[in-house]
Amino acid sequence: MTIHLSIVLFLPLAAGLIGALVPGRAARWLVLASTVAVLGYVVAILADFESGSAGLQYVTDDKWIPELGVRYQLGIDGLNLFMVALTAIAWVPCTLVACFREPDRPKLFFFNLALAETAVMGAFLAEDLALFVVFFDLMLVPFYFLIGVWGSGDRVRATTKFVIYTLSGSLLMLAGAVALGVLATPDGGQISYSIATIQARGVGTGTQEWIFVLFALAFLVKAPLFPLHGWIPETYRSTPIVVLALLSGVLPKVGVYGFLRIVMPTMPDAAQHYQELMLVVAVFSILYGSVLAFSQDNLRMVVAYSSIAQLGFIVLGIFSLDPKGAQGAVFQMLNHGLVVVPLFLIVGVLAARAGGSESLSELGGMAMRAPLLATLFLITAFATLAMPGSGNFVGEVLVLFGTLQTHFVYGVVASAGVVLAAVYMIRAFERSMHGRVGGPVRSAELTGVGLLAIAPLVAVILALGVYPNFVLHRSEAATVSKIRGAQAVARGREARPVAVAEKDRAILPAGSGP
Amino acid sequence: MSATTYGWLILAFPLAGLLVISFGWRVLPGRTPGWIASGAIGLSFLSSIGAAIKLDDRPEDARALVDTAYTYAATGNFRVNLAILVDPLAIFMCLVVSGVSFLIHVYSVAYMSGDRGFARFFAYMNFFVFSMLLLVLASNFVLLIVGWAFVGAASYLLIAFWYRRETATAAGIKAFVINVIGDVGLVIAAFLILDKTGSLDYLTVFAKAGEVFPSNDGTVVAICLLLLVGAFAKSAQLPLHTWLPDAMEGPTPVSALIHAATMVTAGVYPIARTHVLFELAPTAQDVSAILGTATLVFAASVAVVVTDLKRVIAYSTMSQIGYMVLGVSVGAYGAGMFHLMTHAFFKSLLFMCAGSVIAAMAGNQDLDRMGGFRKAMPFTFVTFLIGALALSGFPLTSGFFSKDEVLAFTINRGGGYLALAVLGYLAAAVTAFYAFRLVFRVFYGEPVEEARELQSGGMAHHAPANPMTGESEDTDVGFPGPEHHVAERALPMRVAMAPLALLSVVAGALSIPGVTDAVENFLDPSFADSRFHNTMPSDGAQLLDLVVGGLMSIAGITLAYHLYVRRPGTARVIQERFAGLHRFLVNKWYFDELYDLLIVRPLAMAGSFGQRVVETDFVQGTIVGGATGVVRVGTSMARAVQTGYLRAYALLLLTGVLGLVLYFLISSS
Amino acid sequence: MDIGWFVVLSAFIFCIGAAGVLTRRNPLVVLLCLELMLNAGNLALVAFARMHGNQAGQVFALIVMVVAACEVVIGLGIIVAMYRNRLPIDVDEMSELRG
Repeated sequence: MTIHLSIVLFLPLAAGLIGALVPGRAARWLVLASTVAVLGYVVAILADFESGSAGLQYVTDDKWIPELGVRYQLGIDGLNLFMVALTAIAWVPCTLVACFREPDRPKLFFFNLALAETAVMGAFLAEDLALFVVFFDLMLVPFYFLIGVWGSGDRVRATTKFVIYTLSGSLLMLAGAVALGVLATPDGGQISYSIATIQARGVGTGTQEWIFVLFALAFLVKAPLFPLHGWIPETYRSTPIVVLALLSGVLPKVGVYGFLRIVMPTMPDAAQHYQELMLVVAVFSILYGSVLAFSQDNLRMVVAYSSIAQLGFIVLGIFSLDPKGAQGAVFQMLNHGLVVVPLFLIVGVLAARAGGSESLSELGGMAMRAPLLATLFLITAFATLAMPGSGNFVGEVLVLFGTLQTHFVYGVVASAGVVLAAVYMIRAFERSMHGRVGGPVRSAELTGVGLLAIAPLVAVILALGVYPNFVLHRSEAATVSKIRGAQAVARGREARPVAVAEKDRAILPAGSGP
Repeated sequence: MSATTYGWLILAFPLAGLLVISFGWRVLPGRTPGWIASGAIGLSFLSSIGAAIKLDDRPEDARALVDTAYTYAATGNFRVNLAILVDPLAIFMCLVVSGVSFLIHVYSVAYMSGDRGFARFFAYMNFFVFSMLLLVLASNFVLLIVGWAFVGAASYLLIAFWYRRETATAAGIKAFVINVIGDVGLVIAAFLILDKTGSLDYLTVFAKAGEVFPSNDGTVVAICLLLLVGAFAKSAQLPLHTWLPDAMEGPTPVSALIHAATMVTAGVYPIARTHVLFELAPTAQDVSAILGTATLVFAASVAVVVTDLKRVIAYSTMSQIGYMVLGVSVGAYGAGMFHLMTHAFFKSLLFMCAGSVIAAMAGNQDLDRMGGFRKAMPFTFVTFLIGALALSGFPLTSGFFSKDEVLAFTINRGGGYLALAVLGYLAAAVTAFYAFRLVFRVFYGEPVEEARELQSGGMAHHAPANPMTGESEDTDVGFPGPEHHVAERALPMRVAMAPLALLSVVAGALSIPGVTDAVENFLDPSFADSRFHNTMPSDGAQLLDLVVGGLMSIAGITLAYHLYVRRPGTARVIQERFAGLHRFLVNKWYFDELYDLLIVRPLAMAGSFGQRVVETDFVQGTIVGGATGVVRVGTSMARAVQTGYLRAYALLLLTGVLGLVLYFLISSS
Repeated sequence: MDIGWFVVLSAFIFCIGAAGVLTRRNPLVVLLCLELMLNAGNLALVAFARMHGNQAGQVFALIVMVVAACEVVIGLGIIVAMYRNRLPIDVDEMSELRG
């Protein structure tokens, strides 16, 4: 079977465009159909994917801007396979719920939703640094409108903050990307932004170190990690819940994915150089996010701060520079998305039953008359706190193992985050579902669209919990190859000859460590 | 079928029961979910027997069978299979767990009927039994952690079963969080094991442990201490014990199953399972023995003053687990497991009786309000008496043999262990005292109103209320149902209690010094590699210990008889004389207050500090404020140029052009 | 004839136009002065084209004229539209675009 990634990439956008042009209510169904089609296509890719190989598969490689050496280069390997899958999976229920939410100006709304999927897919699929930057920035556009037009509360302020934060990050990354492409080009060579080419060419240690900062800032804002999460509270409060599920479930993954796809292979020395700093940031985010999630009254904000903690775990795993940690991080990227999307959809469902309130002090006793809703929420909450039976358990264990392997103390401190996760997640569950029935609450069973959107996600969570090796097996080769360079640097600077040719730097043989 | 096939079946039945009930609860009528659940556990018990028989057919050194279903997770040297280890220790635990669970399920079919969450209750119960069996059948540390966390989750769900009762949900959270602390301990221990031995499979690890770790090596001590964190959190041993008394908020069958017979004793199991590691780390063994003894003394002292019927039994559970921990820490693995088994029998029996009494009291659990139930509830009285005798270690009951075997082993180790054994004997007397304090206060004395009502063929009914706080409740889902069931009037309850009563009396016969050694013989292959394998105390010493233990038990019972039957009221006088001590004990040695002060409050303060200071001032103020400040200043400068006057723009344009022209003129000349 | 004269004349006309744009308040006059500046440019273009002996400059001048015509049409349209809205029309009062 021949697989064309461009179809996955542009199908939603095409559906959105056509939907915006044809009259009537077709737009929403068209976009929904396209997300389902993309999901089907991705399932086909999952089935067809050849696991065990570290290389790219289904590569699309065409000229785009030859003067600048920018190519239209797409590909899938074990690293982005499940990110693409996550995107495809997440968009279906969110679009479905949005279809029945009747937003104002539906054509524009669904066009933006479709554009967002294309942009996120593009960022995950891009194998050319410039193309990645294009899609990374393109993501901002639909979300700007989705929050600014359909948001609630002080949405102008929220959007402004969101845009300023992410745009500054993007611009820094743009500068970094250009610098990386140019500085990696040897004298008289043809400039190229292809990540593989840059990795093969390599850049000097000093250069890596300042370019790393540019990339790291962009990705950490996107994630977000402490202390760059300032845009979170207001943006999350104003964003419509369907959009928020995507904003929190999928977008941050683009940031942390960038670390593995771009930073680790092309800047291994810098990754090692800043390892401690990144670990500190990650551990601090875990603790800080957990403690704040514990003290929030708004259910939505509990999930928001818990995301900071979870993203902390992912970054911790990546920068443990250990194959187990990186594998755990990749798995956790998938798991966190799969957990956060239903969580936010459930928050929406609960708010609908509590007269719009998301305050834990006004909710309560929701489980009454709604055993199905309670069960789905319970499984999702348990998955968030890394209970076995969800992929999160294996992901978090691997992250902790990786960190304990290379930095024992950080691992021990981070494991406190696991306990705190239990505290805040069970608290949120208990306050909303258990206890006395809250004042504005009209508890009712989950039916129809809500059930159709949430139940399959929960099924996927459980399936990954029963057979996590499905993911680990497919992602292992690619993930390990991404961090191999940095791992080798970390293991023994002295073991390497001082004057390694720039060219050989990034493709050190596997066992070159001591 | 091979032993491993039976092993898989042991797991499959409860899981199937869980699935059938969860998906079919809407269509299953009446008590059917209860019978399905009981049947599933019954089949599981039969499979355990099958596995035990198959295992017994094999030669002694080939009784550890591993069977793999599929690769659960593999990356790098982290390789975990979904595999079970069927060996005598695992099957012994399976027999105890599934057997006792089966009886408790049958009991619950009657006891819980009328509750609006009937099907949910049995789904949770089956989930719990599945998790518990997974825990004991796991063949590697990761699956152990999986089962470990599952039983914690099931315990949370069942404690908070009446989820609209806020005391119950708070107790659930407490239990859950403390259990997660234990899980984390296990995870770190598992990492260290993987790092040092390169494997997570029990058999590989134990085979390599001897060559990898020098005796009392720092790492192996750390591993064992971390395993102990997990074990102690689950078994409610000091200092991670505070959740167990609160867990009594759950329905009584839950207390019988999870918080008496099975889950809480699960902490003993990993110590026995990883005895190879513990024997390489004598320091950790000593820590464990000392903490076990401390718990048994502490819990016994508190059980004397608590006035909540179920909580007294809960403290006695902690105390008895202390004996088991002491046993497996001093190398008396067989004795520890034996005590685990007999304790499962008599303690679940005691809880079942307590459930019957509480039902007769229409939900009230306060000892001060009870009395004189002997005539009204003859069956419950007799079974409770048997349970209390076994708990006290009264001569020839099951508890008599198992408890004394543990203490005999402890004495046999000599040295400082003698002190632990002495404390153990003293606590045994206290145990007998508080066990009979319950018997005398509940069943003797003037019959209370509820007892008279029961005797006259009626049944007391109070307006539904939370027994702890007195808040009024309704009987809809999320609160206890409207019906109460006493053993005298419910056949399934009697059917479940009678065999347990019998076992509480005769199970001691499985291991009488100098006569039989059935338990030790069965478990022997699992502990053949133990250092203490052949260091049994002599039969003579064991008999002497039995005499001492019997005397202690009789002394305790006699004291209780004097205080509560011969001279009622004496207890109150003593309590007033030692008011300070009483307050100290009633407040459970102030552990809750201490943790509140040391952990809960600092955490909450950190939360509000983070919200107020870090989030508001630092993140929003400095970082966000700084960033937006820069943007604001920049834009206001740019804005000043945009006057809106056409001529101003034109002038700007011209100035620019002139500037350029000048530049070129100057640079060209 | 020396190219210098043409350039000087062109610059002179340009300055007159620029001064007009900057100082006059009537938009019609401003538009006229703009035209003056454009034509000054045209003059220079044509002069240089003759100097180099090719047609490029003249073509440019033609394009500029077309653009100027379009610009005048649009400019007059705007002025007429504004004239309908308020009187008197004054460039200095039109500052809605202030940042």
